[in-house]
Amino acid sequence: MSTVATDTKQASSQPAGEMESFSYDDGIVRLFVTATIVWGLVATLVGLIVAVVLVVPWLTGGLPWISFGRLRPLHTNAAIFAFGGNGIFAAIYYSTQRLCKARMWSDTLSRMHFWGWQAIIVAAAITLPLGITQSREYAEFEWPIDIAIAVVWLLIFGGNFLMTLIHRRERHMYVALWFYISTIVTVALLHVFNNLVVPTSWFHGYSIYAGVQDAFMQWWYGHNAVAFVLTTPFLGLMYYYLPKAAERPVFSYKLSIIHFWSLVFIYIWAGPHHVHYTSLPEWASTLGMLFSLMLWMPSWGGMINGLLTLRGAWHKVAADPILKFFVVGVTFYGMATFEGPLLSIKSVNALSHYTDWTIAHVHAGTLGWNGFMIFGMLYWMLPRLYQTKLWSPKLMGLHFWIGTLGILLYIVPIYAAGLLQGLMWRAIDPATGQLMYPDFIETMPSVVPLWWLRVLGGTLYFVGVGMLGVNALMTWRARPAKYEVPVYSAPRLSKHYEDHAPAPVSELATAPVLEVGKKIEVWARMDWHRQWERLPVKFTVLATLAVVIATLFEVIPTFLIRSNIPTIATVKPYTPLELAGRQIYTSEGCYNCHSQQIRPMVAETKRYGEYSKPGEFIYDRPFQWGSRRIGPDLAREGGRQSSFWHWTHFEDPELMSPGSVMPSYDHLLTDDLKFSAIAPLVKAAHWLGAPYTNELEESDALARRQAEEIAADIVKQGGPAGVHEKQVIALIAYVQRLGTDIFRTEEAPAPSGASPGEEVPGEEAPAEPVDATAQK
Amino acid sequence: MENEPLIQHSYDGIQEFDNPLPGWWKWMFVGSIVYSMFYALFFHIGAPGRSMTDQYDAALAANTRLQFSEIGDLQPTADNILLYSSALAKGRKSWLSVGQTLYKTNCVSCHGLDGIGKVGPNLTDDYFKNVHKVEDIARVITQGAGNGAMPAWGTRLLPNEIVLVSAYVASLRGTEHEGGKPPEGSEIPPWPEPSASAADTPAEKEAEAGQPDAAKEG
Repeated sequence: MSTVATDTKQASSQPAGEMESFSYDDGIVRLFVTATIVWGLVATLVGLIVAVVLVVPWLTGGLPWISFGRLRPLHTNAAIFAFGGNGIFAAIYYSTQRLCKARMWSDTLSRMHFWGWQAIIVAAAITLPLGITQSREYAEFEWPIDIAIAVVWLLIFGGNFLMTLIHRRERHMYVALWFYISTIVTVALLHVFNNLVVPTSWFHGYSIYAGVQDAFMQWWYGHNAVAFVLTTPFLGLMYYYLPKAAERPVFSYKLSIIHFWSLVFIYIWAGPHHVHYTSLPEWASTLGMLFSLMLWMPSWGGMINGLLTLRGAWHKVAADPILKFFVVGVTFYGMATFEGPLLSIKSVNALSHYTDWTIAHVHAGTLGWNGFMIFGMLYWMLPRLYQTKLWSPKLMGLHFWIGTLGILLYIVPIYAAGLLQGLMWRAIDPATGQLMYPDFIETMPSVVPLWWLRVLGGTLYFVGVGMLGVNALMTWRARPAKYEVPVYSAPRLSKHYEDHAPAPVSELATAPVLEVGKKIEVWARMDWHRQWERLPVKFTVLATLAVVIATLFEVIPTFLIRSNIPTIATVKPYTPLELAGRQIYTSEGCYNCHSQQIRPMVAETKRYGEYSKPGEFIYDRPFQWGSRRIGPDLAREGGRQSSFWHWTHFEDPELMSPGSVMPSYDHLLTDDLKFSAIAPLVKAAHWLGAPYTNELEESDALARRQAEEIAADIVKQGGPAGVHEKQVIALIAYVQRLGTDIFRTEEAPAPSGASPGEEVPGEEAPAEPVDATAQK
Repeated sequence: MENEPLIQHSYDGIQEFDNPLPGWWKWMFVGSIVYSMFYALFFHIGAPGRSMTDQYDAALAANTRLQFSEIGDLQPTADNILLYSSALAKGRKSWLSVGQTLYKTNCVSCHGLDGIGKVGPNLTDDYFKNVHKVEDIARVITQGAGNGAMPAWGTRLLPNEIVLVSAYVASLRGTEHEGGKPPEGSEIPPWPEPSASAADTPAEKEAEAGQPDAAKEG
């Protein structure tokens, strides 16, 4: 007698449906595999270069295109979107076809996806070193590239994927597919809403969000880019390739359901933990921390399902480097997703934020989890895709060991560096109440040797990727003259699914339990989810709703509650010259080393000055709070040094601060500023709400006048003459403005009833719209 | 394990066990949710002293007491500057080292380590540009000088901090190091001796009362 519900049987047991023949498109997988390896080499090589340039800044020879500030975004984006991106596409194109028993819906769309994505990466690799950047972390690309990403990701890739799901021949969707679905919709959502800008030119735009709200949106995006580019698709990858390679059933179907939905719903809330103790409202910070804590178990659900799937296969792990890659990868996932909640606890974050601890954390995740999962997957696929034996299993084994050693040599010194930085920055002499290391430079000698060790670890990891490249190349060379294309057959799915499962009966049916208890018992068996797995469109809508609803809970209060950002009457928009200087600041990538956000902590305010207030950033598009202090915070840099000091410091930082690792920005001292290019910046800022008046018409003249004043100051302070047209003057104007507005005493008396803006030059005009909101 | 219930479906050969959620996993998940509710309530119910800024204000007040309860509020007078520029200045703490810390935090980038001069003038010789009397040091620090070459620090430092960093700067005079910047400005007469009355400012009496308090905070 059969107690097994028939609905769990394979589709072939369904009565309806004529047999169809089909084959899989492995050509597209081969393309993505090649791209993954090539970009993996590029991403790790650029990482190695920035690691060296960080310690020896003069190695760039003064070439601005390869300075740390411009290359570091290239490294991060290449690692995430080029190496990680192509890796997950390879995983998705291979596994989706097999899990759906269907070829990808359109070979043309598949190719458009591949070439479109590579074109985007090349465009990014060209524009970032040129300084064309939004300077928002992991969302650096400017708007034309962003539009291309949206089209290629959502319409071409997403459309092709969803159509494949609809035309599948397997009735139920396996858990890997759930993760792919949530990846596709959420990344599209994050990307589009974080990158809304008002263009000022073909190569630049202003974020429609400013200051605190921009910070919120950016870390909503940034955190969930980690979630939905580096976590969910990799969990999907794990759910397919790990049981395949281990030839063992997955540990628990129920666990996959619960951890999938809780992960997708909870992850979205956690973004604010990236900006603890900042000007972000405290309630948002608390939500970010608590949802990160709640995220711990949902994340570990994936790890458990991965590791426990290997029960009974551990003898295979000992012999098979592919399984070794997976085991180490999943272990790093477990470590990183424990450390994530730990770092999100406010008091821990107080120590870790802005330090290298964050860098160690993300490299444990990317090198360990993302890298090793991709390597394991590639080694498993290579012989299958190229229909020959892997060229050298020995080299694969060596890659595993050198890669593991590389990760450890990378992260251990960088964890130490992070702790050292955090402890030295906050150290206060208990007797005198004074900073123990008052000069920021004093912390550098302790950290620089650890940065050198990282170079060694990174080199080993890079060599490992090179071994993969050689192994893949030699395997490819041994491929058959013509690939065999097996033809499969399966019945087409009937339009209507007859659920033959008997109405579920509770095991407690005869037990003396309340009816409710019996219903809960039936519900907990999750047959309801089984139904969702048959309905891809409904499933997609539900997954989208989960992330949208979670997002709205935080977004709506952030944007609507006025008291989140108390207005400061003396905070005024930037002058035209300062806007131009800000543009230089962002395009040089200064945020990669300097934060602009002083946290309310005694050690911090003693070092940098009064802590940052939300109202100070209302004209900052984009916000430039940064996430890291390789150099000191700049939130109150304005007026701390003379303009001549800045001039000399940009020319030769080591001269002003011996031991500094800041590169020379000599080119800013020699290149002329395009004053004519300032007007569009002013117009866009005005359109977004900055109360400009005569700046709109006279931006050029106003900027020149301010530049001449600064140049005159530099001469009086002992500097060179005739420098008012140089780019660095604009940058100095901006830096000298930073954080000074709250000290300014209101110059215009503006008693009640005075008409605002009248005969007052724009810069000094009382910020009427701002004041007005303050009254409410 | 071989007896575990296997779900009958299979995807490209992949099967799944019908194992229940691990108990520890389930209860830690529930625990994190319950904990979160209590945490949110505790910190956001509006009780005083729990918000981020309240905690900062308390820490800052404690730190200020620890630093300055001994000396009260100092005026930037010649006597005070000279008094605290002596390494043997009253009290158990070396107030000079406090001045030095402030100097390292804010001044070292222009005036160099130990005041040997960089973009800013050498502070170790007898030549000064804007200082004629010792109290001018505090004035220059507060208001700035030289068309912004020396920024104004009046809004950035506490009055006590201005006195102490002035005292440290005054103490640098005569400590000429090798490799210092050549003299700028004109030679000025040596600093006077501190007047006797400075030794018993009211601050000293306050210090007696303030110390146990400071110890508690420390």
